[in-house]
Amino acid sequence: MQAPEDPFKSAREKDGLLRCKYQGESIPMVLRHHDIRRITKDHATFSSDAPFRVPIPSEENVRTVRQLPIETDPPDHTDHRRIIEPVFRRPRESEMQARIPAIIATLLDAALSQDSIETVANFALPLQSRALACLLAVPEAEAEEWIGWGIHVFRVGAGEKKGAALDRYLRRRLDRAAADPGDDFFSLLTRATFQGRPLTRDEQIGFGNLVFAGGRDTVIHSVTGILAHFAEQPASLDALRGDEKAIATAGEEFLRVLSPLTHLGRVCPQGAEVLGETVPPDGRIGLCWSSANRDADVFEAPDEVRLDRRPNPHIAFGSGPHACIGAAHARLLIRDLIRQLGERVARLRLLAAEPLLESRPEYTRRIGYESLRLVFEPLR
Amino acid sequence: MPKVTFITPDGSPNEVEAGPGSLMEAAVAHNIEGIDADCGGVCSCGTCHVHLDPAWLDRVGPAGPHERDLLDFNDAADASSRLSCQIELNDALDGLVVRVGRRP
Repeated sequence: MQAPEDPFKSAREKDGLLRCKYQGESIPMVLRHHDIRRITKDHATFSSDAPFRVPIPSEENVRTVRQLPIETDPPDHTDHRRIIEPVFRRPRESEMQARIPAIIATLLDAALSQDSIETVANFALPLQSRALACLLAVPEAEAEEWIGWGIHVFRVGAGEKKGAALDRYLRRRLDRAAADPGDDFFSLLTRATFQGRPLTRDEQIGFGNLVFAGGRDTVIHSVTGILAHFAEQPASLDALRGDEKAIATAGEEFLRVLSPLTHLGRVCPQGAEVLGETVPPDGRIGLCWSSANRDADVFEAPDEVRLDRRPNPHIAFGSGPHACIGAAHARLLIRDLIRQLGERVARLRLLAAEPLLESRPEYTRRIGYESLRLVFEPLR
Repeated sequence: MPKVTFITPDGSPNEVEAGPGSLMEAAVAHNIEGIDADCGGVCSCGTCHVHLDPAWLDRVGPAGPHERDLLDFNDAADASSRLSCQIELNDALDGLVVRVGRRP
């Protein structure tokens, strides 16, 4: 089975970078696995200490606070990350390993009881939100409000500034946690200290903002990408049924080929030379994870989906100190989804698919689905 | 099958009888503290870091290039470091001793 088209192949093989323009800013996109790994080791030259500018395009217009811990460099980054690490270690513990399957089982009950289901809005989005509630140790009912925001958390509240509703929600939620603290993520933020002082409210919101924005569409697109694959390749689900090790390995290959986050940026405070390209002081480069994951110097037959691919040194979660803090959570979701599909679903049938494209003048890439209507046929 | 000893972060030795597969799988099967193995053994995450006992360095061999890439991100890694998912166990490794390394 072929992976989705790789729009970076020729530029990666020729120069190793693609010159892109975002909001009038020239940003060379670094495309090769080895180059990206090298760059992520050098945070002095390629810095993340840049509010709003780690994402590409930058997000000055969609939020008011620096996202933490991602938009800082070590050593501050290390101290910031340590604050929320206990929350993101929870997917490795037995309590969450029991609760996530229950969320997925309920959604599968619903999917199997309907003639067909639009899986972006009615399967992947509620799965992502309810699993996040579980991760953050808040009642699952709180996820219903998050589900109402839709897939793109920065587009909530039509007619108002993008992201304002998330900002308002986080302020309100943190006020509540401060007044009535518990064991949840928001309460942890209100209690946390950074280098000996309490976090400011903006810093607390910066952590919350990343948690809601960073793991939303990425998880949703991974889930629907996996469902679509099994609908197109039913035999591949058959091959995984009941085989935990094969399921884990397949999950990593799905992450490689789907690479739901195309890229992230770094700022060059002093400027830099990157693969023959001069980046001016305060200029940016892009690290294109999705291209690196198709690099033929690292992956044999990179355009083939090989669900038994081992080793698979993909960087779908990024690389280095900033590697996705939610990776263990995402992996738990993905693996249990595949496991339960194998236990309960005979076949997924595709009724309609509307791809979601990331369309730029320089490239077009399928990052997921706007909608994906499937039939879940039960295993009898 | 070989017996291997993991010295966990608190300094205690844990000798386990390994099944077929990698050193990481033996650690996970016996819930060895400090081995997360998030990616399931495909050399993508770096969370199964161990230090080889010096007596075993030559017999087990050095890290491959992708493994080395991941270890380079870990400040606690040194010349004795390996990712346990990349060490396939066999009878020649009976008696292997490793110290569980720090996570990246």
